[in-house]
Amino acid sequence: MSKVRYYVLRTLQTVFMLWLAATLLFILFRSMPGDFTDRMLFAGADPAAVEAFREDWGLNDPLYVQYYRYITNLAVGNAGVSLEYRVPVIQYIRMRLFNSFILIAPGITFAYLLGSLYGLLAGMKRGSIIEKYGIIPIIFLGAFPSFVTAIFLIVIFASWLGWFPTGGLITADTRRLFADAPWWRRYLTGDFLWHAALPFTAVVCRYLFLPSLIMRTSVFEVQGQGFIFYNRITGLPAVNRLRHIAKHASLPVITLYPVSMTRAIGGLVLIEIVFNWPGIGAALVDGVLARDYPVVQFVFFLIAAFIIIANYAVDIIYGIIDPRIAVEGE
Amino acid sequence: MLNRIPILSRVSEGFSNAGNHYAIRNFRNALGKMLDSRMTMVYASFLVFVLLLGLVGPWIAPYDATDRIRGEDGELLRGEPPSLDHPLGTTEVGYDVFSRMLIGARPTAISGLLGGTIIITIGSLVGITAGYVGGRTENVLMRMTDLVYGVPLIPTAIVLIAFFGVGFIQSILVIAFVLWRGSARVLRSQVLQIKEREFILASKATGTSTPRIIMKHIFPNVATMAVMFFAIGVGYTIIIQAGLSFLGVVDPFVPSWGVMMRNAYASGQVGNYWWWSIPPGLMIAFTVVSTFMFGRSYERISGGGDDEGAMVQAG
Repeated sequence: MSKVRYYVLRTLQTVFMLWLAATLLFILFRSMPGDFTDRMLFAGADPAAVEAFREDWGLNDPLYVQYYRYITNLAVGNAGVSLEYRVPVIQYIRMRLFNSFILIAPGITFAYLLGSLYGLLAGMKRGSIIEKYGIIPIIFLGAFPSFVTAIFLIVIFASWLGWFPTGGLITADTRRLFADAPWWRRYLTGDFLWHAALPFTAVVCRYLFLPSLIMRTSVFEVQGQGFIFYNRITGLPAVNRLRHIAKHASLPVITLYPVSMTRAIGGLVLIEIVFNWPGIGAALVDGVLARDYPVVQFVFFLIAAFIIIANYAVDIIYGIIDPRIAVEGE
Repeated sequence: MLNRIPILSRVSEGFSNAGNHYAIRNFRNALGKMLDSRMTMVYASFLVFVLLLGLVGPWIAPYDATDRIRGEDGELLRGEPPSLDHPLGTTEVGYDVFSRMLIGARPTAISGLLGGTIIITIGSLVGITAGYVGGRTENVLMRMTDLVYGVPLIPTAIVLIAFFGVGFIQSILVIAFVLWRGSARVLRSQVLQIKEREFILASKATGTSTPRIIMKHIFPNVATMAVMFFAIGVGYTIIIQAGLSFLGVVDPFVPSWGVMMRNAYASGQVGNYWWWSIPPGLMIAFTVVSTFMFGRSYERISGGGDDEGAMVQAG
């Protein structure tokens, strides 16, 4: 398969997956028992008014008309109006998406840096104590459910020691202070960092074990290779040798980085809820509990699209780094 | 190790026919070897302890899950710190935390065992079929697995459970019907290697039927991996089920540890009433750690080495 053909095929496949995700969501949400108008009726609304509402919002049109409208709207970035907050979904979600992003991107990156470093140290000396038992606390951290870690952090550092706030993004004072400033200004305050410290720690704890484990195994493998032996007999200082090993051993870890990123966007829900962090995970749970279908549908689509597009980007980048992938197909 | 215990060896003699089956023999020997390692012994004992609690917990608990404890003056004991009468204190509405801990072991054990069983059943069915049969069947099954890989587990579970009923069992089913993907993928790649070996060719040449080859020759060779994935499946089901209970999308009247943490958190007193949130959190975490470590040491002993790949795929 030629390189160009691989990229074209992969692009078409990605567009198809995005369409499939949107369509599956449409089917899923249309087959849900009951919709928003049922809640209006339940709340004692006039049946005639509800009928007018259904007519207004096109809920009485045939399904294929609704589907066509849904897909075309989604394609131009119109995800409807939140039934709960009466604002366009995009506007409601936009800031929350950024809040989630600013929590996981640095969190996962830091977890990968720290984990690789730890794995490197643990894997350097086979049979040493740190190699044998050093990995156990990391597995312990990884097996702690994220909400348990988060609650423990709150109990210890927020309630007992009082060093950090229990949740939220910024205090009301800061919000007032920067009410007229551009939207990004409030993220450049010490107050924001102070609030972000505990959620950030929770994310790092949750995702630390994967890079540590992989790096440790990878270091074992690299150490058995000829060039490391060569480095040793030429008398290369230990620090330089470490650098060589790290460079070669980090490949599998780099491969996993995007995987963790895509998983984190879904797994973030719990951490956001515990810390009352206004991200998309919290928006999803709030939307589900309030039966706010447009918000839930769009957040879900965003998460799916993020996973699909991240996989696409990874494949394209690997195709450039390692041309064998593009030529051999899978 | 097991044979050194008189009663157990007599029991196994009694079942000598069944006990001589290769699967049981393998399992018994492996278990015996594993229990020789002290750390594995600790993990195994903890798992047995949780299972026992799941069996008898509700009977030995001093109070019911919904008994509201009153003091001598008839007042509800709200948020009472640990004491001799109530070893883990009481909750904000006057439940005895210790009793709820004992009772909460059952939902946890059920979710782990049920989830792990479904995961490994679907996973090995799909993985072994795809690997052994090959061709178009393999293509269809593996595309299906890829599709499931694209499903974000927790958001999907939240939406499905919230809209189609908030039952306890439903939550486990949703989790298990997504998490089989890892075991299917890894088992398939194992089967691909095994089916090229000579003894499979020999069985084929003697006219052994495909189901028999799979049951007799393929499955025993991937069984180690399957046990490992069962253990990890148990752990992940427990984590995620507890997480969903914590979010409040699962039936809050099943008194699981996850629901306890939710109630403690929702009371807004999570820092003051630490005896309410920390014990169930630790129990969930230790149960999950034990299953992971148990699976790892099982694999190491049966010669698989530390396979970090399985940990990656299973999540």
